[in-house]
Amino acid sequence: MSDNPVYDAIRSRRVTRRMSDTPVDPAQLDLVLASARWAPNAGNRRLQPVVPVTDPVTLRLLKRVSPGMVPSPQAALVICLDTVRAEEFGFQPGHRGLYVDIGTTAATLLLAAHSVGLGACPVTSFSRAAAARVLGLGAGLSPEMVVCLGHPADVQPSTLSALSP
Amino acid sequence: MSAEDAPGVTRDVALEVLAFLVTAARTQTEEAAEYGPMRLLMAARLLAQGMSPHAGDEPALSALVDEVASLEPVRTPTRDREQYLAALDALCERVADALLAHEGRS
Repeated sequence: MSDNPVYDAIRSRRVTRRMSDTPVDPAQLDLVLASARWAPNAGNRRLQPVVPVTDPVTLRLLKRVSPGMVPSPQAALVICLDTVRAEEFGFQPGHRGLYVDIGTTAATLLLAAHSVGLGACPVTSFSRAAAARVLGLGAGLSPEMVVCLGHPADVQPSTLSALSP
Repeated sequence: MSAEDAPGVTRDVALEVLAFLVTAARTQTEEAAEYGPMRLLMAARLLAQGMSPHAGDEPALSALVDEVASLEPVRTPTRDREQYLAALDALCERVADALLAHEGRS
C-alpha cells in the first residue's frame, strides 16, 4: 500500500470470475451505478446509458445468452449504446469513439465496485440481439457490455492459461 | 422405461446448452480465435454438469462426465499450447474410451 489510495485501488482491483450467493446491497448498487455519471465521456454527450439488472430470472437468462459470462452475478449493469441519439449527433454506425466511451464507463464502474468491496466482471461476449430481447430494451438501445456484480467467492477460478486437469 | 430410453439431461439443461451454443456461434464471429476451443469446452462442461445425475453405472462414462463437469471454464490454447493440446488429446482419448465402453467394446 502507498499513500495514494486511488492508485492503490487501481492496482488492487481484480476481475471476479466466481461470485457468492450473497446479495448486493441496493445502496451499493446505486452508488456504483451513479459513478457512471462521472465517467469520462466525449463531448459529455452521454450516449451510453447504464441499465441495472437485479431480477434473478433476468440475470439467469442474461447469463444463458452470454457465453463469456463466467460468474453467476447477483446484479449486473448493462452499458448500452443509444444509437438513435448517436445518429442525431451525426455519428455513423460503428464510430469507434462511441465504443471508447463504453470502455471509460466500464472502467469507472469496475473501480467504483471495487471501492465498496464488490467484485465485478466485465463481459462483452454475449448476443446483443438476445440480450436486448431478454432485457426488454427499447428500440435504439444496443447492449454493449455487461458488468457483473457480486461478492467474490472464497476460491476464484484460474485466469486464462493452459488446459490442465 | 429402460436405461436406454431414460432422458440423459433435463429439458432445462438441454435448453441451456442450446442457448449457449447458438449465442456462442454469434459471439465467436467477433472474438479471438483462441476462444473457440474454450467456448466448446464450456458447452461440454454445461452438458456434463447436466448429465452428471443421469450418467448411469458405466465407469468410463461416469469418470468422463465428472472430469468434464469440473473443467475450469476459462482456459485457452495460446499460453502453454503444447501442454494444452496434450491435455486435450488425453481428454479425447477418454471420450473414445467412454464411447467404446458404451458400445460394449472396451
